[in-house]
Amino acid sequence: MPPIIDKDKCKKCGLCAQICGLDVYGPYEKDTVPIVRYPSECWHCNACVLDCPAKAIKLKLPLSMPILYRRLKGEDND
Amino acid sequence: MIDVKKHIIESDVLVVGGGIGGLMAAIAAADGGADVIVAEKSDTRRSGSGATGNDHFTCYIPEVHQCGIEVILEELNNSLVGGNADPYIQLKFLSRSFEVVQDWNKWGINMQPHGEWEFNGHAYPGRKRIFLKYDGYNQKEVLTKEALKRNVRIVNKTPVTDFLTYNGRIVGAIGIDITKEEPEIVIFKAKAVISATGNTSRLYPSITPSQLFNTGHCPNNTGAGRAAAYRAGAKLINLEIPNTHAGPKYFERCGKATWIGVISDVMGNSIGPFVDKPTKELGDITADVWHSVFTDKMQDGTGPVYMNCTETSKEDMDYMLWGLKCEGDTSLIDALDDAGVSLKRDMVEFTKYEPILVGRGIEIDEFGRTSVDGLYSAGDEVGNFRCDISGAAVMGRFAGEHASGYVKDVNNDGIDLFSHKTVLEAQKFYSRLYENKGSSTWEEFNHGIQSILDDYAGIRYVRSKTLLESGLEYLDHLEQKAKNELIVNNSHELMRALECFVLLQIGRLICLTALERKETRGMHKRSDYPFTNPLLNKKFLTIRRLENGKNELEWRDMRIN
Repeated sequence: MPPIIDKDKCKKCGLCAQICGLDVYGPYEKDTVPIVRYPSECWHCNACVLDCPAKAIKLKLPLSMPILYRRLKGEDND
Repeated sequence: MIDVKKHIIESDVLVVGGGIGGLMAAIAAADGGADVIVAEKSDTRRSGSGATGNDHFTCYIPEVHQCGIEVILEELNNSLVGGNADPYIQLKFLSRSFEVVQDWNKWGINMQPHGEWEFNGHAYPGRKRIFLKYDGYNQKEVLTKEALKRNVRIVNKTPVTDFLTYNGRIVGAIGIDITKEEPEIVIFKAKAVISATGNTSRLYPSITPSQLFNTGHCPNNTGAGRAAAYRAGAKLINLEIPNTHAGPKYFERCGKATWIGVISDVMGNSIGPFVDKPTKELGDITADVWHSVFTDKMQDGTGPVYMNCTETSKEDMDYMLWGLKCEGDTSLIDALDDAGVSLKRDMVEFTKYEPILVGRGIEIDEFGRTSVDGLYSAGDEVGNFRCDISGAAVMGRFAGEHASGYVKDVNNDGIDLFSHKTVLEAQKFYSRLYENKGSSTWEEFNHGIQSILDDYAGIRYVRSKTLLESGLEYLDHLEQKAKNELIVNNSHELMRALECFVLLQIGRLICLTALERKETRGMHKRSDYPFTNPLLNKKFLTIRRLENGKNELEWRDMRIN
């Protein structure tokens, strides 16, 4: 479920759509909140999150890409 | 028909791909006095496998290493980027690696983040360390600025799809403008072309097969330069030896050596022989040496295998998290946080990723020249040299330097590219796809290619004459169906569809070269030739397309000098 744009924070500059390495936004229409047209093509590289001047973008990994981990140590062993 | 833009973009040197190799080539060519264009598929500020950063740069600094260059070369060949390379190129790379490091530092990429030349990670105990730790989070932005300062013109969002030759020499390239819904074909005219399109991802199913773009290296890199160079008559090399990376499961990310932990079993015990306690100086090189550790342990039931940072000191843990940011892995840090992972207590499962082509591709000489006059190559798409980001940076410079001299004696006047056979054929083929009344998507096509390569020319099963020949036939069937049945709605989808035809072509070349290598070597496992043939040690296999359309496969010796 990549990337998610907070429409209230977005300044409609289009930088995310311009710099995206995977073109997930497609052609950008000036002065609009970018549309994530190709969400399944996100690399989850965070470029748009890092570069957004309004900090309006978040990435969320799809459920099909969970991080797998196991707890080795309890709180007490810290 | 898809329109061809009326304006031809002309330059002395055309750089195809604005990654690390491409930008360094462009900077060097401009410094050499050439007029330079970079054609980039997305935007050079954030494109390619180095998009958001990197933290290790292979480098030889005599005053730090206090040894001869041969010692460092040996360590290089024992590392994850070693093997399958010509030592004469590796030596030239090492001899000028520090010069590039110093330039990057001067330009604003912090190569001494702790005030000294610091070599850490990917290292064997008691041996020289060759990976310079640096903070590369801004490397693409800095290199883009340096290129622009030298009046390099950057044409973003224009994937190059073919190279143009005239009397056996390169004269340009064509690409697709994807800035608008309607695709347009763009013609570039140049006296030299430097191809730097990176690795080839998306050939095999990712560790989460439903997610085509879950790849460690950039999934936008699908081998355009390799395929175009092959069609132009250039030799490709070392395609048949599979290469895999490893990292967190199920979120594919590079940066294995940035982790400061121990490759462990489920009880937290070290699996490899190199380290028991994690340190930033060494990391744990086990997975670089024992590539199949993750799958071996799954197959024998003693897995899973984990990256265990629970014994990492606080100082080293902070260093690791800082390193992951330098490496560009901020999304991985976010994902770990989002999952509630505490690296002090939790072990993260690691796995082997699907094969990709890096250090398998276009054959070059020490100046980055290919076997086609005027065509150069640099970076991950080169087949007889590999050093990832540092290799792209240094070899990109070599290619740019040489190309800027080469173009001084070339004259392209009078060559009409609008009527060039390759342009006309491309226009016809792209228009056919665009005007198809089919209903199959490029994603289906890509999945189909992945299934065939995985089963018949991959590492999941063995390879054999019957499997590889079957795979070749199945690829042909799929290609014919795709030509007739694909639906392409806009410029973006045309780009993706053309990527798939490139992937299929490269898959075919993998099958052909794997058939020719009648032995087992590394992850190239032939059931009909289940041994490694010593007579093929230090021998490389090349393939090129002859003018009559047939393939010529040739063996050659590794070049020492």
